[in-house]
Amino acid sequence: MFNVILRKELKRVFTDKRLIFSSFILPAVSIFLTYIVLGMMFSNMVGDIREHKASVYVQNSPGSFREYYDTISNKVNMNIEFIEADKIESIKDSILTGEADLLVEFENNFEAKTAGYLDREVPPEIKTYYNPSEDYSKDARGNFIDQVLNGYEREILADRFGNINYTTAFVIDRTNEEGVIVNEEKAKGKALSMIVPMLIGIILFSSAMGIGLDTIAGEKERGTMSTLLLTPVKRETIALGKVAGLAVVAVISALCSFVGIMASMPFASNMLMAGGSGGIPEFTLGQYGQLLLIMLSLVGVNVGLVCLLSVRARSVKEAGSYVAPVFMIVMVAAFSTMFASGTPETYKFAIPVYGSISAIKAVLNFELGIDQFMVTVISSVVVTLILIKAITNTFNNEKIMLNA
Amino acid sequence: MIQVYNFTKIYKLSKKQMAKQKTKSNIKKAVDNISFSAKKGEIFGLLGPNGAGKTTTLRSIATLLKATDGTILVNGYDVVKDSTKVRRSIGFLTNELKMDTHFTPGYTMAFFGSLHGLSRDKIERRTEELFSLFGIHAFADKKIGDLSTGMKQKLSIAVSLVHDPEVVIFDEPTNGLDIITARTVTDYLRALKEQGKLVIVSTHIMAVASRLCDKLAIMINGRIVAEGTIDKILKDTKTADLEDAFFELYKETAKGGNADV
Ligand SMILES: Nc1ncnc2c1ncn2[C@@H]1O[C@H](COP(=O)(O)OP(=O)(O)OP(=O)(O)O)[C@@H](O)[C@H]1O
Ligand SMILES: [Mg+2]
Repeated sequence: MFNVILRKELKRVFTDKRLIFSSFILPAVSIFLTYIVLGMMFSNMVGDIREHKASVYVQNSPGSFREYYDTISNKVNMNIEFIEADKIESIKDSILTGEADLLVEFENNFEAKTAGYLDREVPPEIKTYYNPSEDYSKDARGNFIDQVLNGYEREILADRFGNINYTTAFVIDRTNEEGVIVNEEKAKGKALSMIVPMLIGIILFSSAMGIGLDTIAGEKERGTMSTLLLTPVKRETIALGKVAGLAVVAVISALCSFVGIMASMPFASNMLMAGGSGGIPEFTLGQYGQLLLIMLSLVGVNVGLVCLLSVRARSVKEAGSYVAPVFMIVMVAAFSTMFASGTPETYKFAIPVYGSISAIKAVLNFELGIDQFMVTVISSVVVTLILIKAITNTFNNEKIMLNA
Repeated sequence: MIQVYNFTKIYKLSKKQMAKQKTKSNIKKAVDNISFSAKKGEIFGLLGPNGAGKTTTLRSIATLLKATDGTILVNGYDVVKDSTKVRRSIGFLTNELKMDTHFTPGYTMAFFGSLHGLSRDKIERRTEELFSLFGIHAFADKKIGDLSTGMKQKLSIAVSLVHDPEVVIFDEPTNGLDIITARTVTDYLRALKEQGKLVIVSTHIMAVASRLCDKLAIMINGRIVAEGTIDKILKDTKTADLEDAFFELYKETAKGGNADV
């Protein structure tokens, strides 16, 4: 009987062009397009800052600075304009609006003051004005200090010591080739675990949601459910058949979304890897097995929730209004794993949905312990069983089933 | 064989329902302590006005609702304790169409046949029989959504009877049907009776009750006010036709003081 119901549920979905489109094709295509667009925006943003020619205004600069700057001007990606004091206020306004990136102001008699260093308590000052809320401006200041002012300082020091080499007290990591101590695989995993677990959590729920509302609440709305209740099939069997059917469809729908993500990888990998260069780390077979079991048990919880809420509603619309808040909670749970650093305490893995997404994250980080894995999967299975029991009870509730 | 003993059904009303029914009470006694029995080989009718409790009674016999009080047996099986066995021997029909419009008549028959545990052969045989009887063959592979209302109604009868049940329960058999389809349906119910099945129907239409039913229970306000063959009811009420008898009984209940219709 279970088979008969399961097969009918699948046939219902897979022979309906509208459902095939809305539950398999649409999510895959829309996620593909979204990620291409987001990925391109992300890469553009990164590339843009790198390519941007900063516009820097320098006021009151000493002659030695200009001479120094001429020797390096073709190596730095900046456009420097030397200005008079009366322009300062208008430049500051431009920095505020983002038209200009940086203003640099030298103290009066700068050269004389640096030269007379033996007689002075404090060295002369160079003031910088910038806008930290603008990436261009922030970067311009950093680059100007690193690439221009540091070199200029060494020139001045070289004059004092009489030898440019005396200006270098030490170097960092000149011969050290093993300085980067990192497990390549873990580093790749870390990058992958920033955004991907959250995505998996959200996709697995939304794929169950889309189809569950349509097939289960829809069946009640059309009144076909009571015909099913008149057959001598046990309520448990009907509940199980529906949940299993929905689970199969949800898994396939989620797979389609993942295909969409993979297809967008060439454009979006930068973003999905959180800027990391990595690629997919080499997981062991065991880790893939863990991922699969965690995800399948999470599908059970999702499908159980959607089924229960859909069965209790009179119409697709009503079911939608029950499921929407749950989806919000799932999204919050998924997002909160993104910001959690380190592995949560073991008991937290028992929290439905949140625990599973945390566990996926921990697998990608090579940090999931076997006890945490067991807690996650067993908790999800138990929750699924409780939900199935609740669905069965609902099937026995005449008031709900007959929409009375 | 259907035996109903002291059956009472009280609905709990939601706030919405209370507002809709303009009542302050949060319960509604839909059926009030009724008893009757019906045997195979007869068409038994529940006749009564809107809200009398006919649908409630038939749904309880069909295991969809649980009695608040009293017992209902179908072929000796309790509808609550042995609901699965009862469901095997009944076919429950209503005038509301309840089939997934996406599937074809052929598939729908096969699906419900399997759920009733029929073999593939048996399903094919029943489908053949019922489809020829109602002229569904030509539409067997169309989507149900594309069929006419009359055709859907015939199909829903065929689907509900795929397992060839001993007891056929039909809530308002001719409601919403055109005269030709209605005739097909009533003719078929008579044929079922001839085959020795027990047919129980509800109706608020006097003509349907008097032409179709062998025995009647007249329900008013959740109670049975008269029961038996039509002749017996006419004799008891000293009237010449069913409509007069009904109003005679209705006046009496009103006098009795429990008519809060
Ligand atoms: N699910 C329910 N919840 C609350 N009250 C109900 C419910 N179903 C029926 N009732 C009430 O119980 C009474 C009997 O209803 P029922 O449907 O059994 O009557 P009926 O004889 O079939 O009437 P009709 O000819 O209108 O179909 C009515 O007053 C109805 O409002
Ligand atoms: Mg009714």
